Amino acid sequence: MDQAALETARTIIEKWRPKKGNLIMILHDVQDAFGYIPPDIARYLARTLHIPLARIYEVLTFYHYFKLQPPGKYKISVCMGTACYLKGSPSLLQELKNILNVEEGQTTKDGMFYLESVRCLGCCGLSPALAVNETVHGTLTKSDVIDIVSQYAKEA
Amino acid sequence: MITKTVLIKDTTPGSTSGTKEFFDVFTAALRESKLADEIRLVRAADIGVYNHGIVLKILPDNITYANVQHHDIKRIIGVTLKHGNPIKDLLYQPRAYQLRLVLKNCGRIDPESIDDYIAHDGYRALSAALQAGPDTVIREITASGLRGRGGGGFPTGLKWSMTRSTPGNEKYMICNADEGDPGAYMDRSVLEGDPHAVIEGMLIAGFAIGASQGYFYIRAEYPLAIERVQKAIDQAHAYGLVGERIFGSDFSMDLEIRLGAGAFVCGEETALIASIEGKRGTPSPRPPYPSVKGLWGKPTCINNVETLANVPSIIRNGSAWFSRIGTENSKGTKVFAVTGKVRNSGLIEVPMGTTLRDIVFEIGGGTASGKRFKAVQTGGPSGGVIPEHLLDTPVDYDNLQKLGSIMGSGGMIVMDEDDCMVDIAKFYLKFCVDESCGKCAPCRIGGYQMLNLLENISRGNATLEDLERLRLIAKAMQKASLCGLGQTAANPVLSTLRYFEDEYREHILNRRCPSKKCTALLQFIIDRSRCKKCGLCARSCPEKAITGDKEHGYTIDTARCINCGMCFETCKFGAVERN
Amino acid sequence: MAALTADDLAAIASRIHDQNASWIRVGMSTCGIAAGAERVYAALEDELQRQGAGVQLKKCGCLGMCAAEPLVEVNIAGMPRVIYCRVDEACARDIVRGHVCGGKLLQDYIIDMQSEDAS
Repeated sequence: MDQAALETARTIIEKWRPKKGNLIMILHDVQDAFGYIPPDIARYLARTLHIPLARIYEVLTFYHYFKLQPPGKYKISVCMGTACYLKGSPSLLQELKNILNVEEGQTTKDGMFYLESVRCLGCCGLSPALAVNETVHGTLTKSDVIDIVSQYAKEA
Repeated sequence: MITKTVLIKDTTPGSTSGTKEFFDVFTAALRESKLADEIRLVRAADIGVYNHGIVLKILPDNITYANVQHHDIKRIIGVTLKHGNPIKDLLYQPRAYQLRLVLKNCGRIDPESIDDYIAHDGYRALSAALQAGPDTVIREITASGLRGRGGGGFPTGLKWSMTRSTPGNEKYMICNADEGDPGAYMDRSVLEGDPHAVIEGMLIAGFAIGASQGYFYIRAEYPLAIERVQKAIDQAHAYGLVGERIFGSDFSMDLEIRLGAGAFVCGEETALIASIEGKRGTPSPRPPYPSVKGLWGKPTCINNVETLANVPSIIRNGSAWFSRIGTENSKGTKVFAVTGKVRNSGLIEVPMGTTLRDIVFEIGGGTASGKRFKAVQTGGPSGGVIPEHLLDTPVDYDNLQKLGSIMGSGGMIVMDEDDCMVDIAKFYLKFCVDESCGKCAPCRIGGYQMLNLLENISRGNATLEDLERLRLIAKAMQKASLCGLGQTAANPVLSTLRYFEDEYREHILNRRCPSKKCTALLQFIIDRSRCKKCGLCARSCPEKAITGDKEHGYTIDTARCINCGMCFETCKFGAVERN
Repeated sequence: MAALTADDLAAIASRIHDQNASWIRVGMSTCGIAAGAERVYAALEDELQRQGAGVQLKKCGCLGMCAAEPLVEVNIAGMPRVIYCRVDEACARDIVRGHVCGGKLLQDYIIDMQSEDAS
């Protein structure tokens, strides 16, 4: 594990050390910093916090939010809330799978796009919607999807 | 010099040019009457009234006319615009269906400015509560009749007094902002639009129960809400409204944010507590209730965002004021996220007792497509559907329960004739199966088995006995599951079965999906007469089941077709038919 | 600073109420931002400066009409208070030039909401 990563992890742990029940918050900060929870960092947390590694993974695998694989540069989250579902988000997801040639939870070979479906983005007024990283695109039709993907591909 | 403004909108369904035509005729008439410089005519995008022909709103008189005809223009100019008198036969009394109490400040104040909140009566309730003392505060909240807005509807005052009366000098207050119901975002809006109101509610609740530490448990998927709540806590801290000796009193309380991590079951109180403790969010049997043994084994009170946002105005205006709003057993207002196939999807707040019909048709404006309304779903994965003939039911906790649904946190999803009830039941049940924590067998196994049965129905591989099986498993789950998730997971299935059994039978007996949603029961063919031979469908087909070329046209090989429906959606000419 | 007293609340409130009577509010919750409210806010800010209009511009939460976002509410002395819906950058500039500076309401953008406040 490189020194900078270790230093980041140490800072996060120190920030939360005085707080009770801090494990989930530490994992959130680690994921914010690295984009996912690297196994090396998980081991480092176990050693430093004196928690069995199994307990850390028990928590990590329980919650959908935590990722064990590095995500792509752009994370595409297709909303599968009820409103979006009714208004056609499954076909947006299918279109993205076709365009990117990945399944849900996978990253494209070039590491550019990570595709996932999420519970609800809370933008039901703009359904169907998807988010690229934290930018929400709403009121979409299937044909908008390719434009969004190429827009980000161009920016990269 | 302009003296009056007239807003114009043609509210006839399907009309596209009515507003413009009327506007032009009216403009000419004004010019003729030499009033063009005094009256301002404006075409509105939406006038808040639907299906009432041409609607005019005259300002500042605040007169609304509906079903106005072109020949009425002369009268309107002569009587109303010149002399300010209303014309009785055109008058329309728009009812204010909404009553904004929780959302009072949302969209009005700057959520990032504590001063702006204070300027809108902010923190006055906290100051009053500290002077009145905990017992008076609890008495007021109890008398107001406020019930939990997260779904359960437990009386808030009772919850507070139970936590207060449990002995112990260390107690916790938690705000549940783990809004997991897909299709609902009331709490997000309140946290983003008026975070200080929730903080003030938290502090008053903490004071009442005797807590010195409070936690906001917020979904990690709500970055903006998290940012604004943190900013609000910091501002309140700087003003001494959070922290030591608040308002110079003996009361001290700190607030902190803890993040959810995408587990629906954490909306359940005991699971939420486990999550704040940094563990897997699995529920525990109750009793002991959190009010006795909660966070880190200490007495804990958990209230939902909307519940807490109600607290400051109750303290400010008194319980009598609050309990005048609503129905006998459900007081106050409720915020709903009205979404799905409705025209005006958005967030609304209505007094308890408003009918579903008023919500869907008067506020929501009916279906967006103009297609037939089929049902409205309340309560998300724990709730049920309510069909058209029950729309006149006044919304409150007890009525919705009687109909086989629940109030829930406030998601309200409108469905039209294109939505298949078997598919809806499958959608919600799949959600609960994915979210089941797996701790107890009825939920873990029952949900999975029910989902299999539904899957078979939507593929046409089921028998009528399967409907009985569904009911049987549902009963077992309701009776034997450990927590609310499992106990209510079958509700969407039961309620669709209760009101739309015909649709289930149609799938089973005739292998037909009336809403053409269950693709396994459909057959796709290309209508030669409408096909423009563009080839888009062939390119969209993931199974390469569409063959042909731009000269001869295309056909679908039904043996290879997996009924995914991509070609149907792709075709721009409606040449792909599904039957 | 020292902890606030109850009297301080009134002082802060009156300070805020003294501010300019003319204002523009932009709905900036998740749904508004997703629909483009940040670009609208920037356009309003820029155009107000160009026109030298002394109007307070404010970021607010959600008014509830999510399908009609971005929403811009305008209150200019002597004119009816209105809410514009589905505002884009061009419309935002028109609001400043037409409504704020020109005393004209924009055609086809006004949304009228029938609701009542409980205080």
